[in-house]
Amino acid sequence: MSATDTQTPAAAPQDAAPVHKSWWRALMRDRAAMLALILLTIIVIAAIIAPLIAPHDPNLNSRSVMQPPVWTERGTWEFILGTDGQGRDILSRILYGTRLTLLIGLVAVGIGGVIGSGLGLLASMYPKIDPWVMRLNDMMLSFPAILLGLALVAVAGPGVWPVIVALGIASIPDCARIARSIGIGVMGQEYIEAGRAVGLSDWTIFRRYLLRNSISSIMIFLSLRFGQVILIGAALSFLGLGARPPASELGMMAAQGRDFLLFAPHIATIPSVVIFLIVLCANVAGDALRDVLDPRLKS
Amino acid sequence: MKKTLLLGCALAVLTGTAFAQEINIVREVDSNNYDPHKSTARAAAESLFMLGDTLVSLEPDMKTVTDGLAKSWEVSDDKMTYTFHLKDGIKFCDGRDMTADDVVYSLKRWIDPETKSPVAWRAGTVKDITAPDAKTVVYQLEEPFSELLYQLTQSFATVIDKNDVEKLGADFGVTGLNTTGPFCWGEWLPRDRMTMTRHEGYNWGPQFYTNKGAPHMAKVTWQIVPEENTRTVALMTDQSQVTQYIPQIAFAQMRNTPTVEVHRSDEAFWTWFIGFKVDKPTVSDPAVRRAMNMAVDQDALARDILFGEVTPAHSYISENALDWDPALNDKLIKYDPEAAIKLLDEAGWKPGADGIREKDGVKLRPNLYIQGGSTWQKLAEFVQAELLKVGIGLDIQVFDATVFWGKVATQEFDSFGMSYPYISAGDALNLYFLSKNIPTPNRMNWNDPETDEWLAEGRRATDDASRAAAYAKVLDKVHEAAVWLPLYHEPMTIVQSVKLEPIVPHNNYGAGLYKGLDLKYRE
Amino acid sequence: MIETIINRLLVSIPVLFGVLFLGFALVQLAPGDPAAVQAGPSATPEIVAKIREEMGLDQPMIVQFGRYIERLAHGDLGRSLISNKAVSSELAAAIVPTLELMFASLIWSIPLGIAMGTLAAVWRGSLIDRAIMAISVAGVSLPIFFICLLLIQFLGVKYPIFPFIGRGGPLWTVDGLRHIALPALSLGLIFIGPVSRMTRSSVLEVLRLDHVRTARAKGLTETQVILRHGLRNALIPVVTLVGLQIGYLLGGAVVTETIFSYPGIGRLAVGAILSADFPLAQGTILVLALGFILVNLIVDILYARLDPRVQKK
Repeated sequence: MSATDTQTPAAAPQDAAPVHKSWWRALMRDRAAMLALILLTIIVIAAIIAPLIAPHDPNLNSRSVMQPPVWTERGTWEFILGTDGQGRDILSRILYGTRLTLLIGLVAVGIGGVIGSGLGLLASMYPKIDPWVMRLNDMMLSFPAILLGLALVAVAGPGVWPVIVALGIASIPDCARIARSIGIGVMGQEYIEAGRAVGLSDWTIFRRYLLRNSISSIMIFLSLRFGQVILIGAALSFLGLGARPPASELGMMAAQGRDFLLFAPHIATIPSVVIFLIVLCANVAGDALRDVLDPRLKS
Repeated sequence: MKKTLLLGCALAVLTGTAFAQEINIVREVDSNNYDPHKSTARAAAESLFMLGDTLVSLEPDMKTVTDGLAKSWEVSDDKMTYTFHLKDGIKFCDGRDMTADDVVYSLKRWIDPETKSPVAWRAGTVKDITAPDAKTVVYQLEEPFSELLYQLTQSFATVIDKNDVEKLGADFGVTGLNTTGPFCWGEWLPRDRMTMTRHEGYNWGPQFYTNKGAPHMAKVTWQIVPEENTRTVALMTDQSQVTQYIPQIAFAQMRNTPTVEVHRSDEAFWTWFIGFKVDKPTVSDPAVRRAMNMAVDQDALARDILFGEVTPAHSYISENALDWDPALNDKLIKYDPEAAIKLLDEAGWKPGADGIREKDGVKLRPNLYIQGGSTWQKLAEFVQAELLKVGIGLDIQVFDATVFWGKVATQEFDSFGMSYPYISAGDALNLYFLSKNIPTPNRMNWNDPETDEWLAEGRRATDDASRAAAYAKVLDKVHEAAVWLPLYHEPMTIVQSVKLEPIVPHNNYGAGLYKGLDLKYRE
Repeated sequence: MIETIINRLLVSIPVLFGVLFLGFALVQLAPGDPAAVQAGPSATPEIVAKIREEMGLDQPMIVQFGRYIERLAHGDLGRSLISNKAVSSELAAAIVPTLELMFASLIWSIPLGIAMGTLAAVWRGSLIDRAIMAISVAGVSLPIFFICLLLIQFLGVKYPIFPFIGRGGPLWTVDGLRHIALPALSLGLIFIGPVSRMTRSSVLEVLRLDHVRTARAKGLTETQVILRHGLRNALIPVVTLVGLQIGYLLGGAVVTETIFSYPGIGRLAVGAILSADFPLAQGTILVLALGFILVNLIVDILYARLDPRVQKK
């Protein structure tokens, strides 16, 4: 397996320092990426200030169930995106649900990113522990995220935290793999040898060269991973393993809506579309960042 | 819409999913096995009614017990001895003749402690079951059991084959099952589908069926489809020809769809309720239980969540069920949130900072165990939202159907959601409120000597009036104590393709198609 | 070559053992008393206790693990607590449908993805490139359940062309093909995105290499260059990607199989884990992990064949 590691998509095993300064400007030139970033920012802010802008209590049921959105024939301005099967305001639930969905994605990617890249970078630095880390990785990779999620939920019961932990753990091997390949590239650079020669400690080398030179590439990978994690999290919720009622979470909302698909398709469609938008924005922005930071792919 | 449906029919004809003698039935869940004595799932009953036969059977009116394997029977004056006379020419699927010994073996296996049947109590307190000759079965009880004949119509009383049990061992009811019913075991793929084929030569079905011979269908497939929406569209696109598992939301549309028909029967006793464990903090307070009953608007539940297709329930059994006491109708707790708030205030449950009430440091946050599946999720969320309005925080915990039954046998929950079939007050009350049935099926820990005594009185009663009087006392007591929060009574609704002859819904143990003898394509 | 394979196999053994133990430990910790499940809805505590003893659940965990391994060595995976069927037979019944589903989804999505990626690379920066990349990025961003539901709604209900319940039969039968169409379409769709993106970037990379430039200089047409030099080398990361993404694909399969009531191993695993069906859950985890290890092994071998540099090593 080791032979494949240097070929991973986000691998940019080179000194990124020169591009570093201009990446923001380069990004600004990519209109799609800018749009994605703006949209993502709006979504994130809306989610953060959800309690301030939500028109209704997301958990309060009204007596008008399955009301369609405002732009349809029977829609009203009271419920802009309509109501769900329990008569709750979908817009409010979307705002709160986005909050929870983003939180799941961020924390899971954070856990996976920190532990995974730590392991990967260490492996790249110390060839002795490398095989062990890689074997551990292979083992963890044998548990696809969704299966790990199922098993953890079976142990801990359905809830947000088991899903976060499962997704976090499932992100570790991929992050470790990427970090390792990036790290190996960095470790092969002359300045590392130079640093060693002047007697810098391992910790200093790790901090000053290895971490600093790999972090941006790792971050790009994480931004792409973020989308995937959100999708798997939504799938787990869809299977009934995620957030518990009355909390709202986008995947769960879509799952609840599938019973109404034939009669009130908006209940399942709206949260699905929001998930799609979040993941799409994360992917487009991540792609653009990679293009900017990985000059080999630039034309 | 019409155009697409026409297109759908055309395509269905072209691709030919349904041959004239094959039928595909979709249902929500599978059974854990098909050993009549070991599974209490509705799915098991559905299949076993078709695969097997019982001594007596139940007519669609849910009241009349009629012929089955027995053409007639006598009951002694002391109501302790039942003598059944079997029909002629009954054969097992493997071709062997069925005799009274097979019936005796089956019934005895049901009550044998070695079988560990969870439903052995349904057979009454048996003194002995004997076969004086090949066509006669004598069933002797230790004490009268007014429910006996009804219980003998259940799938647990299905006649099985001793050789089959011994030959298959642990695989009995898993890889095969030799029975005498209208259909024979084909193949079972757990959680996917079960197929059964026509029992050629079958002519001993119950008299109330139009069809006196073998079934019209050569092959029946029970397909598991957990998704509500998928089941609905499966009917609309003719991938399935009949089911009783269509969500309420779809009924209105189904009635307007030219390719399907909807048949509803209100002679159905299937009630959905939340039960309280009466010795747990919070719900041990009768005021809390009463307040919860007042806080939930069953009418809104029936109208908004179940689209007016069910009857809101304020009583624990249908008011049409045998031995319901109409005098109780006025005493039932009705929706009144203000009164609920007042009652909680008076009982010392004061709202805390988070809006949830508390008393002596105990938060009013009872948990509720429910099984997965869209219906309970919706019901629980509705109840949760209703209770929140009076300051009660319901903590919903969902379990897969198979785990759920183990969880509700424990002492760890405050309340549980369940639905159940019954035929009479006695049937329901003896099951749930008898103290010897703690912890399960008496999951409320309802331990009341008076109740036990009245129930025994009712079981032993040899005339209708005294039985009804005994059960009325129990009904009054448990309703007064608000041991349950009744939600709704569900009618039996069968949705079928118009290609089939109209089906008369049955409701024995909630198995709408019962023996399936009259399932037939229109000519 | 053979050496590589043997090496990989040897390395897989501890991995396999770890997987075995992890799978065992995870389901051991799960709530839901298997004895209570076995006993059924209204069993008394005494009955449950008796069954627990019979099942050996009162033994220490390490003893149970030992017994599990011992039985495994005899090819005995136990019996499902729910259906009482032999786990091996349930697994055997579910593996083929899942393999069919994987095959049916990959057989069209990988070539299509590669074609799209190559086109995008060749005309990079053009409108075609942008359109293809937009499609593929949208593809990887769509929740799989949404795709399934949309497909059912359009190709199942509105224009009822394909059935969407269960498996019609083996893949080579007409009914089997009709039934697998929608699940395979859904699952394949989520795979097009990653494949086309990966193909594009690796073709771009290869096109810049020296020997490709030389080939171009020798007067070969662009198409010849791409087919002869570019694509072969560009396939390497794609192969790796398939290996890496097989877990993602399995995750998709779980949802797809559930929605389409397709009797595969994903649906079996979900059902088993959710219903605390210990032996079956262990069995499905074992099979999934084995499959995963096997795929990675195949990927390595393919990789070695495709990339001359590895062969020399």
